[in-house]
Amino acid sequence: MSMSEISRRRFVQAMGAISATSVFALAGCGAKRASESDDNTDSTASGIADTITFAQGADPRGLDPAYVDDGESAKIMCNIYDTLLAYDTQSCDIVPCLADLPDISDDGLTYTFKLQEGVKFHDGTDCNAAAVKANIDRQLEPNRTEDMPYASFVFGSEASGSGVASVEAPDDTTLVITLRAASTPFIKNMAMALAAPVVAPSAYADGANSIENPIGSGPYKFVSWNKGENVVLEANEDYWDENRMPQTKNVIFRFIAENSSRVTALNNGEVDIIDGIDASVVPTITDAGNELFEEDGMNINYMAFRNDDGAFTDLEARRAFCQAVNVEEMVQSLYGDYAGVATSVMPLWMAPYDEDIQQTAYDPEAAKQAFADLGITSCTMLTYTNPRPYNSIGGQALAEAIQGYLREAGVEMEIVSYDWTTYQTKVETDKFDVCLYGWVGDNGDPDNFMNLLADENVSMNVGRFRNEEYNALIQQGLATEEGDARNEIYKQCEQMVADQMPWMVISHSKNLAGYSPKVQGFYYHPTGVVHMEGVTKSA
Amino acid sequence: MAETVAQAKGRAPQDSPNDAPEKAVAEKTESLWKDVWYSLRQNVPAMVSLVIIVLLAIVAIVTFVAPGILPYDPYQQDLSASFEPPSAAHWFGTDQQGRDIFCRILIGSQISLTVGLLSVAISLVIGVALGAIAGYKGGVVDTVIMRFMDMMLAIPSILLAIAFMAALGRGIDKAIIAIGFVSIPEYARIVRSQVLAVKQSDYVAAARVIGDSDATIIFRHVLPNVMPSIIVRATLGISSAILDAAALGFLGLGVQPPAAEWGDMLGRGRNYIFAAPYAMIFPGLAITVTVLAFNLLGDGIRDAFDPKSRNR
Amino acid sequence: MLKYVLKRILLAIPVLLGVSIIVFLIMRVFSADPAPVVLGQHATAEAMEAWRDANGLNDPIIIQYFNFLTGALTGNLGESYYTHTPVTQELLSRFPATVELALVAIVIAAVVGVALGVVSATHKNSPIDGLATILALVGVSMPIFWLGVLLIILFAGVLHVLPSSGRIDPLLAPVGGTGFYLLDTLLMGDLEAFSDAAAHIVLPAVALSMYSMAVITRMTRSSMLETLNEDYVRTARAKGLKKRRVDIHHALRNAMLPVTTVIGLQLGSLLGGAMLTETVFAWPGIGKYVVDSILKSDFPVVQGAVLLIGVIFIIINLVVDVIYAYLDPRITYAKEEG
Repeated sequence: MSMSEISRRRFVQAMGAISATSVFALAGCGAKRASESDDNTDSTASGIADTITFAQGADPRGLDPAYVDDGESAKIMCNIYDTLLAYDTQSCDIVPCLADLPDISDDGLTYTFKLQEGVKFHDGTDCNAAAVKANIDRQLEPNRTEDMPYASFVFGSEASGSGVASVEAPDDTTLVITLRAASTPFIKNMAMALAAPVVAPSAYADGANSIENPIGSGPYKFVSWNKGENVVLEANEDYWDENRMPQTKNVIFRFIAENSSRVTALNNGEVDIIDGIDASVVPTITDAGNELFEEDGMNINYMAFRNDDGAFTDLEARRAFCQAVNVEEMVQSLYGDYAGVATSVMPLWMAPYDEDIQQTAYDPEAAKQAFADLGITSCTMLTYTNPRPYNSIGGQALAEAIQGYLREAGVEMEIVSYDWTTYQTKVETDKFDVCLYGWVGDNGDPDNFMNLLADENVSMNVGRFRNEEYNALIQQGLATEEGDARNEIYKQCEQMVADQMPWMVISHSKNLAGYSPKVQGFYYHPTGVVHMEGVTKSA
Repeated sequence: MAETVAQAKGRAPQDSPNDAPEKAVAEKTESLWKDVWYSLRQNVPAMVSLVIIVLLAIVAIVTFVAPGILPYDPYQQDLSASFEPPSAAHWFGTDQQGRDIFCRILIGSQISLTVGLLSVAISLVIGVALGAIAGYKGGVVDTVIMRFMDMMLAIPSILLAIAFMAALGRGIDKAIIAIGFVSIPEYARIVRSQVLAVKQSDYVAAARVIGDSDATIIFRHVLPNVMPSIIVRATLGISSAILDAAALGFLGLGVQPPAAEWGDMLGRGRNYIFAAPYAMIFPGLAITVTVLAFNLLGDGIRDAFDPKSRNR
Repeated sequence: MLKYVLKRILLAIPVLLGVSIIVFLIMRVFSADPAPVVLGQHATAEAMEAWRDANGLNDPIIIQYFNFLTGALTGNLGESYYTHTPVTQELLSRFPATVELALVAIVIAAVVGVALGVVSATHKNSPIDGLATILALVGVSMPIFWLGVLLIILFAGVLHVLPSSGRIDPLLAPVGGTGFYLLDTLLMGDLEAFSDAAAHIVLPAVALSMYSMAVITRMTRSSMLETLNEDYVRTARAKGLKKRRVDIHHALRNAMLPVTTVIGLQLGSLLGGAMLTETVFAWPGIGKYVVDSILKSDFPVVQGAVLLIGVIFIIINLVVDVIYAYLDPRITYAKEEG
């Protein structure tokens, strides 16, 4: 007994020793802290914290502005990259950035930009006219690839006879862009957070992956991206614009999917700023002593009918659907005071000329009758699960509310849901009758909203609405100078949407963010991006 | 789960050899059941659990047969009444869509009990059959069947169930199949070891001598002896099936809305833990109480079958 | 002894093969055609056919399985349909997070479970015993994800003492070590990072450990009660040895045999529970990754992850068996497993 006892004990000891040494040997290869600095949370001499953490609902799709179309990506990218022009802090007015405001030829076709001198990308390469040209060229036909969702939106296409015909860089600081046709929104497009930002050509050269390893010239440098966890940025100490020098050393974007978890993280001091807030958590945020940022958003939350296939290709079927849903009651119940019922595609503060546009009125009896006459008893809705800037409670809850109304009208609606990133692929590939979607304006121009229904690209025009008359109006709007005539054109577009119902418009959401009282200088731009360079946190 | 297997395996009632097989078995069985019922009645937690389970079953059946009996339609949306806190009108409050949570929990008992019973039935029938064949036949058949069972046991059951759901697609019917399928090995193992023990006994040898067929022997002599451990395992199995189903629902792999399933309701309520904690707390309580009841009943039945533990 | 170990290892090989077959069957035979998932439902039939050809999905099933198996053996589990990154790489980068969580959880479960079990056995029918029994019952009856959310509400939402999600402050995260943050930070001597990592792991580990803790408590209690009734314990007591000394030195040591087995088995089942815990706490491990992948029908990822967890499970069982065989003098090495 005693012999075996000893040897057994030895055996266990040996096992322990073996596992311990092997683990230590592994660790011996030397771990390092992600940040070099010794103290990261402590204050610097100036009393400003070194790190600010912003929590959002999902990962970016990617970090190269040519290949993405979502706000999660835009929020991060606008800190890494510069654009030729920029929006003013609280509006969509154009101000100089990498270039001064351009000289525009009388025919409105030639734009001549003068670039800042001596700007460097984060990897030390030159951010000159040739680099900007390369960025635009890669998004023009025939270089353009199918996975560039914003390329035709910002730079136009041959088929539609719009957009950029050619780009020239006669010297390091001069850039000449020639358009195919005059375009009023074009100058605003040059400040957009998608497609327009200037990526270092070295970042997307052969063998480099700009989607995961972005290199820009902006106030913050990319450090790391742990999928599903965070993106870490650090201050670009050599930033060229003295007025926009980054104030905080590290900026971290964290991804926390559930609204309630993000609120917990904010109230618990784990993060400093959160967005994607819904009405139900506002009291929780303010009761904990945190601040609420609240401003009218430039967005639309809508449901698209599949116009080319499925149960709602017929106008009468779409009308019945719109009659079945009490949008007003639904918006009030789901979003409370933090979203307004959509009377049209654009929010009224953006397009006051749309005020007499009317959507199909709620009429459950007529809907029931129409569905019965049309023989529609079931349909499929595709939706996303995450909260979106235009839909703070997420697609699932909205889908189920709509499902509840349809049930009363005698239609069983099946809901198929995916996380946002997957959803965007599924909308392009899967069968469905209706789907939930939304839009956050990029540049404050009506074309940016109304063009969605004219876009060839399915990821923009998810309902596959194709209408020649509508497309002609859009082209006309592009070439018309700002003023009443142009407003009249977009009003006609809005009226067509109300009549034809390619979409059921739901709500315009307020931009909401919660932030710690220690945070100063935070604002949420109407285009849904967050510039962090001026944001500080007292330590 | 490993524990329940281990215990059920180790605590089968010991059968004594008997000379006059059939009559004795019958008598023994009858008196055993009486004993068990008597001993179970002394076990207060188990009896309370039994009452809870019977009540739940009544609720499930009544709400199925006459859903109109509920004060509110559990599927009827009323967005003007969303997230009302618990009150005299809505005992457990209302959810996002203004539906009464109490009614949804009541009607949700249908799904939970159905999943529990049907998935256990699936694993029970297939598991008992495989285990009996393996134990009785022995040899190659035994090796092949039991090796396959080992392989299934080598994957955590919830992971295997989730993988099944991934392949089959979402839906409660698929959840039942997935959960039922993954617990087959547990029954097969219990039955096999029991069969091996019984096979050696004198009365089976006697039955064989008088020329009973294999099937007769299995059904008349072997299975009745295996029943106690199977009943214990099945009762505990229902509780883990309900838990697994709730987990699938929580992950969004369960029911299609607007169906009311406790795990699904819990997962949904999780988004509103501050504004409406009741939307998450009550479904969670419903799951816990139900699972607890089946666990306590299972424990009670096991103790009742096991003379040794009765004296404790 | 060596012979026994070898035999057990040899016996594990067919089980491993079997697991690979089951995983393969579920993912390749039972599940829907992946071509429309990858290419989209509007892809032409020719394009889908070409894709299937290129990915070997038109080969005879046996050949497909053989390719899958050789791939798995060489560490190639295919590519994710969505991110097009190698599954092996994605799994390995998340693996340490899951293992770290499971290990911490099993330590909590074992320490608390054994302590509770011993105390309730030695103080049978006392209030402590009652409390432990209730805890053990509720522990196996409570959905792990519900417990997780309740813990978050209490400790992060109300008391503000522990972080609610994530693994570590991103700036403190150790880079280039083992991937086990607790170990890496300790080896670096970075106490700030260590305590941050420790604070992050507490809630998920406690939530994950609850079920196992309950099982271990019950097992320890009943095992202890049995040994306390054994003759040698009674003899020792009769000889006048102190109760405490008898309990610890004689009874506990022998009662620990079955408990050790249960602890080993629980470690395996924790890997299953980790999927739910990781989802609730946004813990960046394999579990959360698998759940996310299932929701988007990313079959290669699910296939690889299930296979990996199955293999770990088998290895754990093997190690438990071997340790048990060594610790228990009564076992005959030739014994066939049941």
